[in-house]
Amino acid sequence: MLVKVRSVANVGLESFGVDVEVDVAEAGFPGLSIVGLGDKAVAEAKERVKTAILNSGLDFPPKKITVNLAPADLPKEGGSYDLPIAIGILAASGQIVNQLNSESVNQIYFGELSLDGGLRATRGVLLVGLFARKGGNVYVPIESANEAAVVDNINVYPVRNLKELVDHLNDIKEIKRLSNLEIRELVDDVSVEFDLIEVAGQELAKRALTIAAAGGHNLLMWGPPGTGKTMLARAMPGILPSLSVPEALEVTRIYSVSGMLSAGESLLRRRPFRSPHHGISPAGMVGGGSSPMPGEVSLAHLGVLFLDEMAEFPRTVLESLRQPMEDGIVGIVRATAHVSYPASFTLLAAVNPCPCGYLGHPRRACKCTDKMIRKYRARISGPILDRIDLHVQVPAVEADKLTSDQLSVNQLSSRVIREKVVLARKMQEVRFGSDGLYTNSQMHNKHVKKYCKLDGETLRILKLAVEKWDLSARAYFRLIKVARTIADLDESENIGVKHMAEALQYKQIV
Amino acid sequence: MKTENRNVGRAGESVAEEFLVRKGYETVLRNFSTRFGEIDLIMNDNGVLVFVEVKAKKGLIFGSPEEMFTRGKYDKVKRMATVYLKGRDVSCRIDMVAVVLDELNQPVSVRHYENVVM
Repeated sequence: MLVKVRSVANVGLESFGVDVEVDVAEAGFPGLSIVGLGDKAVAEAKERVKTAILNSGLDFPPKKITVNLAPADLPKEGGSYDLPIAIGILAASGQIVNQLNSESVNQIYFGELSLDGGLRATRGVLLVGLFARKGGNVYVPIESANEAAVVDNINVYPVRNLKELVDHLNDIKEIKRLSNLEIRELVDDVSVEFDLIEVAGQELAKRALTIAAAGGHNLLMWGPPGTGKTMLARAMPGILPSLSVPEALEVTRIYSVSGMLSAGESLLRRRPFRSPHHGISPAGMVGGGSSPMPGEVSLAHLGVLFLDEMAEFPRTVLESLRQPMEDGIVGIVRATAHVSYPASFTLLAAVNPCPCGYLGHPRRACKCTDKMIRKYRARISGPILDRIDLHVQVPAVEADKLTSDQLSVNQLSSRVIREKVVLARKMQEVRFGSDGLYTNSQMHNKHVKKYCKLDGETLRILKLAVEKWDLSARAYFRLIKVARTIADLDESENIGVKHMAEALQYKQIV
Repeated sequence: MKTENRNVGRAGESVAEEFLVRKGYETVLRNFSTRFGEIDLIMNDNGVLVFVEVKAKKGLIFGSPEEMFTRGKYDKVKRMATVYLKGRDVSCRIDMVAVVLDELNQPVSVRHYENVVM
């Protein structure tokens, strides 16, 4: 008997329908063969499915069984076909009596089996839910079911084990379907690793961090070791607003295909903060593998990518950031696949001014030669520096600031700053309503011309700066964008002189 | 020594056949011989053609008879079965019977494995 079961193949962030055809033949030597361009994990489904069926107290028919995963030319991978294959075998051998494929309801089975018949958390369940849309029934492992439950208008059945599902399909004991999870607004009590209030001094850097958070600008921090660059960066997640619902869906998709959601997790609401070590390979940074998985740039999508000791990163890795920084998307091409992942992140980088780290330090002498410093600086190429909107010095802290018990003047806690950032982001949201932008940093030149009107005096200062420092056209637009964000933080409609003057402080240092 | 081994084999086969017949199988053919080797028994179990490989051993000093049935042997039996079938499409399977004999070639234990898949 021939049975067809529907499942889904995820390639990158795209999903394709897969028909799992199962034939149980009366003649021929017993055995199970799977065709349809599966990888090793799919081939091994044979053993998992057989053992799982037997251990669930069901019969594995001693017949010649052929499984076909159609379309034949789409590569299939992973353990997610275990469930549709098992259901197909049980239906084809008469152990599931109800019709699986009524024309009216689209049913999708997706999940990896364990030898005891239980279902294991499987990656990509959110994509399955999004694929099912419009009234479909989705049978997925209970641990991953919450991912799919955020999608409207589908029925998600959380399956604990094979036996339960068979009983459900045979109308013996129903599995309760998950009600649509309300995407509730996350309460604003973000627990943070560091509060900005804990960092001694560094007012300018804190301000720059605020601007970066508010406008999504890339930020580079220069400074000697131990002045708080890393601490400042780690405080960044605490001042970022949580993800809006569409944003959260975008981010969760990426984490779902990477299998990085923990059991029971549904939608990520925190902005991602990724800080890869400088030993990372280009494939780890932008994504890769024979079936390409998202890299750090995509995992940091709509969040922060923090590169500590940026000059220590291999040149190839840094240069690979150029395309995603420009386009907010990264295309990965391999022999068998061509996928693109979103990668719109805020780059946060920390770097020492020279190899020994003490160039420009008020009390310690720098031991580096000119040549060493030049060589060190050359590790970060011009085009990368050119894409960073904010450059800020994080100098050595004076001893009295460290020892004073009282926190420095107008010291703000992360919580207060976050409120300001949220307000500034709201202004941007209103402004860019129809343009598909989220933040000021994403503005193109035409948007700058449209949204950033400068009055006479402001324009004069800008011109003066351009002439004096011989700034490039890109730097010119960058300054205006930063000034726009500063004005937003000030809740001001127009960019004033003081906003532009502040923006000028964060121009490129070298 | 060789004769001795052959005797053990033959004794094992008749023990296995008797065992299966008592289980309700019908003998179709004994020692079907091809150029790849022999199928010890071909039986009929309610319409399913069963190719039986018998492994017999005297004592357990050199391991159990089950250990003697390898992937290579399985493939060989399957190949011989294909020769026997000559392309006919009927339901069939491969079974294995493990026989342990004592010094006098009397059966100590008989174990029957249905539908061996390797």
